[in-house]
Amino acid sequence: RCQLAPPQRALQASAVLRRVSDEQKKEPWASPSQFDSPPADQQPDREPQGPSYTGQGSQESEDYESEEQLRHRILTAALEFVPEHGWTAEAIAEGAKTLGLSVAAAGMFHSSGSELILHFVSQCNAKLSELLEQEQKRVQLGEAEKKPTDQFLRDALEARLRMLIPYIEKWPQAVSVLLLPHNIPSSLSLLTSMIDDIWHYAGDQSTDFNWYTRRAVLTGIYNTTELVMMQDSSPDFKDTWRFLENRVADAMNMGNATHQVQSTGEALVQGLMGAAVTVSEAGTRAEL
Amino acid sequence: VYQVFESVAKKYDVMNDSMTLGIHRVWKDIFVHKMNPSPGTILLDVAGGTGDIAFRFINYVRSVWERQLQRRLRHHQNLSWPEIAKSYQEDKSNSLGDSQVVVCDINKEMLKVGKQKAEHLGYSEGLSWVIGNAEELPFDDDKFDVYTIAFGIRNVTRIDLALQEAYRVLKPGGRFLCLEFSRVSNPLLSRLYDLYSFQVIPVLGEVIAGDWKSYQYLVESIRRFPPQEEFKAMIEDAGFFKVDYQNLNSGIVAIHSGFKL
Repeated sequence: RCQLAPPQRALQASAVLRRVSDEQKKEPWASPSQFDSPPADQQPDREPQGPSYTGQGSQESEDYESEEQLRHRILTAALEFVPEHGWTAEAIAEGAKTLGLSVAAAGMFHSSGSELILHFVSQCNAKLSELLEQEQKRVQLGEAEKKPTDQFLRDALEARLRMLIPYIEKWPQAVSVLLLPHNIPSSLSLLTSMIDDIWHYAGDQSTDFNWYTRRAVLTGIYNTTELVMMQDSSPDFKDTWRFLENRVADAMNMGNATHQVQSTGEALVQGLMGAAVTVSEAGTRAEL
Repeated sequence: VYQVFESVAKKYDVMNDSMTLGIHRVWKDIFVHKMNPSPGTILLDVAGGTGDIAFRFINYVRSVWERQLQRRLRHHQNLSWPEIAKSYQEDKSNSLGDSQVVVCDINKEMLKVGKQKAEHLGYSEGLSWVIGNAEELPFDDDKFDVYTIAFGIRNVTRIDLALQEAYRVLKPGGRFLCLEFSRVSNPLLSRLYDLYSFQVIPVLGEVIAGDWKSYQYLVESIRRFPPQEEFKAMIEDAGFFKVDYQNLNSGIVAIHSGFKL
């Protein structure tokens, strides 16, 4: 997603794209204590540390904000209006208005609102990564205890799902848009990278077949819990967290059960590995 | 240019229908759909003489506004009926949600025809008719949300000036939209199109409007107009960002769009 901005037209002073120097006076990336508050709070306008923007500083000779950054600002501002207008171009138009832009700026995005939803999801994933990173640092510094895996997974998923709470009424609409065929590649990749992240911080060292099963299992837990959450009316989503707890416990037990079939599994895997090695050696021999 | 359109004004709509076999209505519908205006948008339609784009804009915005109102009412089901009645009163005087369109044209006759059409079709609110030259608009800076020019920019002598004026009068974040005949990429279609343009259209012009020369001029001005990519570069030179175009009917007509960012 490393999109480099098109070269700035040096002669025209842009009406809206702000100078980078202005932006850097603003607060840097929000501190972790703010993560639990609704994401509707104005995010800091720039994301200078985000990996998607590497290379832009070196590309442009002028220090103007790029189109991409402006789009992110508009989408972030639009999130505030989602509870009222849904994930639509109307919400984006209202967001643009708060930034002092014309409502026509919403025309920069698809009218389905897909980009708004994808932006929100990737923002949530980034926040989750930050959270997990902070937690890991605390453990390394000895300030906190390392949690057992099931507790860790539960907490990570709960934190991530709680980010949906301010938008939970319109979330079913978002899910259906994310499942549209042309959105599936993006939404799927966001989902898998989030799950990867969680396992990474959980200390997953596996390089064998288990890697896939763990991803699949956790993805399943996340998706089902999300669905439960959307129709949960208990106070503070108590029922959802209990459901989550049960599913994670199930997954842990399943891990034990698989040990019994492991010998068959191992033999199978070794057979496959052997086949792969043979094929690759045959290939190199053919090249020689 | 002025004289061409003076003679053409009254028969303009009829000629459009016959020349394009009515497809121009579809093009204009697609154009306004692409604009996707929300209520509260202020539109400047340049060279919009007989009001086609303006009327479509008003219809679109009205239906979006009504849908929004309905949604709002549905959420407020615990209002008392005096409050609901009061909201109806407010809404009646504001059927377009504060949207407005200013139709600007260099030619008085075209505007006159447009005004008559508006009366005839029952459009009263939100419309203004102004005489003006696209190269030098009689408006202040940063005034409009959307600037449209449908089948008008090829008639402008200095296109770059018109683009600069468009940039000037748009608000930050505003959108420039242009619907215009363009270069057909498909060679077979291009031959057929040329044949049709040069043989059939001036004849239609003579038969329907009694004016061969004007329609000859029209067809030639279409050929003279820069192709899609070149026009896109011109728009970018005027300072617009995120400029792109959409071909309709494989290039017979193209919609160019840019944002003042």
